[in-house]
Amino acid sequence: MKILLVAEYRDGKLLGSVNELIAFAAKMGGDSAMFVVGSEAALPAYDGKLYLADAAACGEFNPDVHKQLLLEVVAKEQPDMIALSHSSYGWDLAPRIAFALKAAQVSEVVEVEDGVLVVSACNAKLRRTVNPKTKQTVVTLQAGAFGLAEAPTGSPTVEKIGAAGGGRLEFGGYEAAEAGGVDLSKAEIIVSAGRGIGKPENVEMIAALAKALKGEYGASRPVVDSGWVEHKRQVGTTGQTVTPKLYLACGISGAIQHLAGMKKSEFIVAINTDKDAPIGDVADVLVVADLKQFVPLLTEKIKLL
Amino acid sequence: MKILVCIKQVPDMESKFKVAASGKWYDTADLAWRMNEYDEYAVEQAVQVKEQVGGADLTVLCIGGEQVKETMKKALAMGCDRGVHVADDKAAEKEPFEIAGIIAEFARDKQFDLIFTGMQSQDRGSAQVGVLVAEMLGIPSISTIVQFAYADGRIETRRELEGGVKAVVKAMAPALVTCQLGLNTPRYPTLPNIMKAKKKELLSLPVADLLKVDARQETTKMYFPAKKGGGLVLEGELGQLADQLIQILKEKTGVLA
Amino acid sequence: MEFTREIYWNVGHGAATLVPMYLLFIIALAILVYGFRQRIAVYRQGLPLDRTDHLGERVVEMLKDVLLQKKVIHVAWPGLLHGLFFWGFFLLLIGTTLIVIQADFTDLLFDIKFLKGTFYKIFSIVLDLAGLVAIVMLGGLLFRRYVLKPEGLVTKPDDAIMHGLMLTILITGFVIEGARMAVTETGTPLAPWSPVGMAFAGLLSGAGEGTLLTIHKLTWWFHLLLAMAFIGLIPFTKFRHILTTSANYIFADRGPKGKLVSLDLENEESETFGATSLKEMTWKDIFDADACTLCKRCQDRCPAWATGKPLSPMTVVNQIGEAAFTAPDSQLIELIGKDVLWSCTTCRACQEICPAAIEHIGKIIELRRSMVLMEGEFPGDEVMAAMEATEVNGNPLGIGYATRGDWAEGLGVKTVGEDGDVDILYFVGCYASFDKRNIAVARSFIQLCQAAGVKVGILGREEKCCGEPMRKMGNEYLYQTLANENIELINAAGVKKIVTTCPHCYNTLAKDYRDLGLEVEVEPYTVFLERLINDGRLKVTAADLTCTYHDSCYLGRHNDIYDPPRALIRAAGGTVVEMERNRAEAFCCSAGGGRIMAEEKIGERINIRRVQMAQATGVGVLVSNCPFCLTMFEDGVKGAGIEESLRPRDIAEILAERIVK
Repeated sequence: MKILLVAEYRDGKLLGSVNELIAFAAKMGGDSAMFVVGSEAALPAYDGKLYLADAAACGEFNPDVHKQLLLEVVAKEQPDMIALSHSSYGWDLAPRIAFALKAAQVSEVVEVEDGVLVVSACNAKLRRTVNPKTKQTVVTLQAGAFGLAEAPTGSPTVEKIGAAGGGRLEFGGYEAAEAGGVDLSKAEIIVSAGRGIGKPENVEMIAALAKALKGEYGASRPVVDSGWVEHKRQVGTTGQTVTPKLYLACGISGAIQHLAGMKKSEFIVAINTDKDAPIGDVADVLVVADLKQFVPLLTEKIKLL
Repeated sequence: MKILVCIKQVPDMESKFKVAASGKWYDTADLAWRMNEYDEYAVEQAVQVKEQVGGADLTVLCIGGEQVKETMKKALAMGCDRGVHVADDKAAEKEPFEIAGIIAEFARDKQFDLIFTGMQSQDRGSAQVGVLVAEMLGIPSISTIVQFAYADGRIETRRELEGGVKAVVKAMAPALVTCQLGLNTPRYPTLPNIMKAKKKELLSLPVADLLKVDARQETTKMYFPAKKGGGLVLEGELGQLADQLIQILKEKTGVLA
Repeated sequence: MEFTREIYWNVGHGAATLVPMYLLFIIALAILVYGFRQRIAVYRQGLPLDRTDHLGERVVEMLKDVLLQKKVIHVAWPGLLHGLFFWGFFLLLIGTTLIVIQADFTDLLFDIKFLKGTFYKIFSIVLDLAGLVAIVMLGGLLFRRYVLKPEGLVTKPDDAIMHGLMLTILITGFVIEGARMAVTETGTPLAPWSPVGMAFAGLLSGAGEGTLLTIHKLTWWFHLLLAMAFIGLIPFTKFRHILTTSANYIFADRGPKGKLVSLDLENEESETFGATSLKEMTWKDIFDADACTLCKRCQDRCPAWATGKPLSPMTVVNQIGEAAFTAPDSQLIELIGKDVLWSCTTCRACQEICPAAIEHIGKIIELRRSMVLMEGEFPGDEVMAAMEATEVNGNPLGIGYATRGDWAEGLGVKTVGEDGDVDILYFVGCYASFDKRNIAVARSFIQLCQAAGVKVGILGREEKCCGEPMRKMGNEYLYQTLANENIELINAAGVKKIVTTCPHCYNTLAKDYRDLGLEVEVEPYTVFLERLINDGRLKVTAADLTCTYHDSCYLGRHNDIYDPPRALIRAAGGTVVEMERNRAEAFCCSAGGGRIMAEEKIGERINIRRVQMAQATGVGVLVSNCPFCLTMFEDGVKGAGIEESLRPRDIAEILAERIVK
């Protein structure tokens, strides 16, 4: 089995998801090679062949050109599988590659069981196993689903590939997220509010608990989308990825996008009325209770300590 | 100007799911159905463009059984001019490539200037169909947009990237975009529009007419994930739970020690 | 002596008096008619509405309300002042009419006099006292308005004219009498029968007869002029309420209370729904403003106004009227303000207390209807989400419909689909089906029914929201969709009686659903349980409980059900320590009018205000019988930080604990 890994490069940096790709390749066994439109100055710790195109010349975001270059590498390497991260870059590029290669694309793989690809469905409530029928398969990997026990080492054998111009999309640069204030990625203790808080007034009780614990408060996407909490406190794939010592998920069901943002927390406590909520999969402790009653009570007790 | 928006009817995610007898998909009994949340944003944006460009014609397409017509009526009530229902009782058994193939086959000779889809569906979540359709039709596509503007054949969007960063991406029509949550605020259909929707054209096409490609993958099994993590489940009286939790936090984490 | 007096004494009884007098009267009447014809043309901008059915009964009700001043004196201060003033003035009017009848007709044409003897003595004293009472009461009203200046009372130049004119008419009346008596009656046995006149005569006694005659004559004509001016001014000042408020009693809404007009959604021709301008309101909506005297009793009781929201029911009513007269093309929603319109909880405190039979709520709902149905606008995104959740799962909580009947697990209750042979259909409602706190109430109710040997069936997962919060928010379409589905189910089940534990469901099924084809009897559970206890079918032990009781708006003001719940509390061994604002004066919990779906963003929280009222009674338990109230109070005691000292409970829970096995 040969896998071609597609790494991501953004804003002058190689994204850490490259390690997840390496871990996946390791899990699958066999050989791997890597492709990235990036820069010599940002190489992954990877002991294999790296096909490198210059992002400055091709554009960091240019699906048509990236696809072209990747197809050239595919033609050379003839991999059985092409793996990308299930990210805004990966899920955009993958279908283009898959179509060109007449390959099946299996999206957001969460695990591999005896060589069989497993993806999730219906807000992480269900799983399904997928059988690709084509010679080559394109897969995208769920963020954080695959990881290495230790940080990878090594340095790649770099083969530069020609830059190409063109592309039908015009990339006009990045716009930073709203600045200032909270940096959850640095917080040691985070209490997060999910849809279960029911109404914006209840954000207060979450913030109060966070304060009692001397931590920060965050929220899942639906809460931010409803305007109850500002975006900079959003935890999840489109918000912040956090790795606190303690993460308290209040009324959060555990949709994949949120889990991806917090499942690397050291200790996770979930407060939810639903015993079967997917958050339970990552939680060290699941307190089955209505957060609207439990959270204030917990806060009071903590304050009395 | 011709616009197409593709929608899917999915179960309400609050429903309690069960695996179907076939073991390969979820059981459709006891589910409440609704428009895929991502598609609501797509419909809203498509209607906004239609309102912006005088004389634009907006078609909504949906694949599925008879019941999806309810969801199509909502799209019509939001402002689509006409509906195309691809009648297919086995839509759930199809994989993204087939779905894209059906849509592309329909759109191929219609010369749509803009095609809107949701970025992914809430049940399958493969996030492929939109971009695949664009590749099949040979038109540019921009995925995961949270901002959209159209003027004189040019589209300007913002893609949503991880960490809340946005990327400015532009393209020339004809083009396809896939819509992310938060792109706009989907309107609530007004009653006059709901009533007008009842009279709008809703064409039913048999899927066999449009399915010209073969499946490239199949789902072999659907199941509930085993409870992992060895996590402790605490239940009981609130006061006791709070005490228990505080004890655990003291013991297992450095917090509250 | 003869107990009588010469009518037109000193003024003259001939043509020189009668012609100008009747001429002025005719002119005054003409101005009155003209003034009202102008106003009627403005009312007619609104849509037609038939309020003349059962005309005889309507007129009788009007006469009772006007003559007994029932609604006015219901609020003793200043109601009694107005009532007494009215009776005084009314008696004077009768008196004057009798004089005219005798002087210009029976005596003139037939030589018949009846104002004599004992009758005249009574006549004299009654009118004197009437006049005195009228002056004193008017003085009181004036004092209240101009000296006490109660908060929120709007005073206009109009008011000064009214007070001034009335007082002058009354006082000149006594001056005339006093002058006459000073010349003709002082010292006679008749004089004491006009004590006030005597007092005025005393004041004028210093003047010589010639002066007195002049004073008398001039004041008489002056008094006549003022009286005619008064008549002519009626349509142009707040005086109009004499006729318009009385007319409003005739045109009143005969109920059922709280039932809204059902929109005809079948009509494919309809292009607009709800109201945005005067053309879409009814003539009554405009006329109500004319009947309004700005007494502010509605404003004083509005829970939104009391907690800092911009909604004043009185202002809404009057803005519509003002627009009708001065700016008929007004966009009413912009004029009144969206925040104002969304703040209403339809608690009915305004309409219950209004002494002018004005209908505040319907206007607000019509304007809401156009915002929702024509613009897809709601007070907030959370409300739109609740509406959409209801469309998908049949409940505003967004919980999967398939579990709607799960609350009854283990109780042995079947759906009517499984077993249609039931004594009652229990229409559970969304909160009792899905909300943990309220599920306890539903289960308690079942336990009570089972203890009483009543066989209960439910609709189970097929039951949909009754649609009431959606309807009150203005979403008539969603309401009718839900209602039709429920009615079809209920009719198919063939049940004979429906009982609800939610007053909103009760009110909607018992009244609103009649327009859509539901004919089954509907009863609220408090009435149902009271009967079971009275009939001896349900036995509960009385165990001590000191509590206060909250009259929910939809059981209380909307349905006049105040006693059965109190009887139930007593049967349970409870003693009710009433809050200051109880029964028809109860203060809303805030969740009505569809606002259970909305966030309260402006001012203070209404529910916190109410739980503080409950706390002020010093008891530890707040009893209610509505799932919205219970939810609001649970929220409220936490918000107010008093959850340790005040416990919200439903009457069903309390009774269930006391079932005699």
